[in-house]
Amino acid sequence: MSTKSILRSDEFSCPSCVTKIEKALSALPGVAAAKVHFNTGRIEVEHDAAATPVDALVQAIRATGYEARPAAF
Amino acid sequence: MFTPILTILRHPASRRKWLTIISGALIVFGLTALYGFGLRGLWAASMLAAAFVAGSDIAWRAFHALRIRHFSIELLVTVAAVGALFIGEYWESAAVTFLFMFGAWLEARTMRQTRGALADLLKAAPEVATVIRDGEPVEVPAASVLLDEIVLVRAGGRIPVDGEVTEGSAAVSEAAITGEPIPAEKSAGSHVHAGTIAENGVLRIRATGIGADTTLARIIRRVEEAQEERAPSQRMIERFAQWYTPGIMVLAIGAWAVTGNLPLALTLLVVACPGALVISTPVSIVAGIGRAARSGILIKGGQHLEHAGRINMLALDKTGTLTEGKPSLTEIVPLGGIDRAELLHWTAIAESGSDHPLGRPIIEAARAEGALPAADKVEELAGMGLVAEHDGRQIAAGNRRLFDHLGISFDAPAEAALAGVMGRGRTPVIVALDGKLAGILGLSDQPRAMAAAAMAELRRTGINRIAMLTGDQPQPAQAIAAEIGIDEVHAALMPEDKLALIRQFQAEGHHVAMIGDGINDAPALAAADTSIAMGAAGTDVAIETADIALMADDLLKLPEAIAISRATLRNMRQNLVIALLTVVGLLAGVFSGDVHMASGMLIHQLSVLIVIANAMRLMRRPRRDRPGSQSRPLRPVEA
Repeated sequence: MSTKSILRSDEFSCPSCVTKIEKALSALPGVAAAKVHFNTGRIEVEHDAAATPVDALVQAIRATGYEARPAAF
Repeated sequence: MFTPILTILRHPASRRKWLTIISGALIVFGLTALYGFGLRGLWAASMLAAAFVAGSDIAWRAFHALRIRHFSIELLVTVAAVGALFIGEYWESAAVTFLFMFGAWLEARTMRQTRGALADLLKAAPEVATVIRDGEPVEVPAASVLLDEIVLVRAGGRIPVDGEVTEGSAAVSEAAITGEPIPAEKSAGSHVHAGTIAENGVLRIRATGIGADTTLARIIRRVEEAQEERAPSQRMIERFAQWYTPGIMVLAIGAWAVTGNLPLALTLLVVACPGALVISTPVSIVAGIGRAARSGILIKGGQHLEHAGRINMLALDKTGTLTEGKPSLTEIVPLGGIDRAELLHWTAIAESGSDHPLGRPIIEAARAEGALPAADKVEELAGMGLVAEHDGRQIAAGNRRLFDHLGISFDAPAEAALAGVMGRGRTPVIVALDGKLAGILGLSDQPRAMAAAAMAELRRTGINRIAMLTGDQPQPAQAIAAEIGIDEVHAALMPEDKLALIRQFQAEGHHVAMIGDGINDAPALAAADTSIAMGAAGTDVAIETADIALMADDLLKLPEAIAISRATLRNMRQNLVIALLTVVGLLAGVFSGDVHMASGMLIHQLSVLIVIANAMRLMRRPRRDRPGSQSRPLRPVEA
C-alpha cells in the first residue's frame, strides 16, 4: 500500500541538491515518487511503507549529505 | 570515546562542521609554518591534510551521487581539488575544499533564517493535546484528537485544535495566525484556532478541526505553496543554469585541449555552479513571503508578489471592510420634551420584541443604563418598523414610511432633526410615544479604528488613488469616506457595477488592488490585478481564493502588505544584478588570469552569501511596526 510521507530539512543551501535527493529517494525499493522543494525544505515521498519505511527515507537523504526529519504536515 | 565521535560522523551537518574546523585549523597551521618559520615541507603537508579532511566529505558525496548517476557540483569540486594536488597547487586545493565546505555551512545557516517564518509557524502547532475522556483529562498526540471531543487548555498552553469554547474564558494571543500582538478575549461560544496561546485562564474547547484540517495547517500549506511557486524570472534563470554548468565544463575541457592550461581548466570547474544566480530570486521570495506571514499577511506566490509590488490604485468595499459591519447607536435626538434616557428606554422596550439588526445596539445601550422590561405586545411591519405596547403606552419605532402609514405628521423641528441625522450619514430610527413624535435615534456602521490611519499610510506608500465602491446609499457612504480620508466614492452599486468600475480603472492605466468581503464583491475581486481578503482567519474560502489574505481584521496590514511586496520585488532585482555581475565578472577574471581556483571559490561563495544576506534584510520589521512607535487601542477580536 502506498503512503505519502512528508519530511523536512533546513539544511539546503543550493538547489543542486534537489535532483540529487530526488534521485536517491527514487532509487529506493517501493518509492513511487519523490519531490524535493528547495525553497521550503519540504520533501514529499510516495512510498510503500512496508518495503521502505520512513526511517529508510531519512537514511537515504542522510547519505546524500542532508539531515531530514519526518513531519506531520 | 568512540561513540560520540561516531555520532558526530553519522550526522551530516555536524560532521561537516568538524571537518571544516579541522581543515581550517590545518590551513592556519600551514600558513604559520611557511610565513612564520619558512618551513615549506610542513606547509605542504598541512595543506595536503587540509585538502584531504575537507575534500573527503565532498568526494564522498560526489561518489554517492555518481552511484545514482547524478552529476553533482561536488564532483566538479573534487576533480578540481584532486587536479590541483597533481600539479602541486596544495594551497589552492586546500583553500577550494575548505571554502566550499565553510561557504555551504554559512549559507545553510543564513538560509535557515530566511526560512525562519515557516519554521515558526510549524513550531506553533502543538504536538500533544489534553482531552477529556471518560471524565478524565488524558494527554494524546494532537493529531489523534477526535472531532467534537473536549480539549482542555490551561494558562500558557497552546491550543492544539480549531474549535469552539464551551467553558471558561481567557485572553488568547493569536499572533501566530493573525500577526496581531494584542490578545483577544475568548469565552463560551468563541471560535479559537490551533496554534494560538491561552495566556491566562482555562479553556474547554470542542474540537471542530484537527491536524491538517486546521486554519494553521492550511496557512502553513499556503505559505509553502506560495514560497515554492516559481516567479517567471526564476524559470528563466533555471533554464539558463541547466545549460550553464555543462557549458562551462565543455569550455573547461576545450580550454585545456587547446591551450594545455590545466589551472585555467580547473578554475573553470570551480566556478561552474552559478550559485548566486539560482538562489537570487528564491531567497527573496522565501524571505518576503515569510516576513509577510509573520504579520498575518498571506501572499500567494512570487507572481502575486510581483503584481502587488506594482499596485498604484486601491478600490475598497465599505461595509465590513472599511467599517466594522456592525451598526452602533451614535446619536439620540429627543423631540417634544422627553429626555434622552427616557427616549432610549422606550425605544429599547419596543426593539426588544424584534431581532432586527438595527435594534441590537439600541437594546445594548439601554441595558447599559438600567433594567429593560419586555414589551407586552409587539407588531412588526415589514420594511417600516414596529409598533409595541408596554405599561399602557404605545411605542412606534421605524422609518419615515411607518409614520406616513400611522398618519403621524412631522413638524418643522422634527423635519430639521431628521435632515440633520441623515446629513451626518446616520441611518435614522424615528420614535413616537402614544402617537406623538418623541425623537430620532441615529445609527451608523462605524469605520474601523485604524481606517483613517491606514488610508494615510497607503497614500504615503504611493497608492495615489483610493476609491470606495459600495452598494450603500450615497449619504452614509460619503460620510464614512470623509471621516477616513477617501475622496472618491462610488455608491449605490450593484456587483456588476463594481466589476465595470474596476475594468474602467484598469483601462485608465491603473494597477488596481481590490479589497472586499468576497461575496457581492466576487466579480470585482476576480477582475482586479490583486485581490485582497481581510479577516481571513475566520473564513477559509478567503484564504483559498484571494491573492493576498490578511488574517486579522486590521486595515493597517494593507499598507504593510504592499510595502513588503514592493521591498521584495526590489530585493529580487538587486539580487539578480549582484548574481549576474558575479557570473560575468568571474568568467572575465578567469580568462584574464586574475582569478585562480581559491579566489574563484571565494568570490563564488561570497556572492552566494551576499545574495542571502540581502534577502535577509526583508525579515526585519518595517519601521512603522516597531514597538513603541505607535500605540493601538485594545479591541476584542471575534473570530
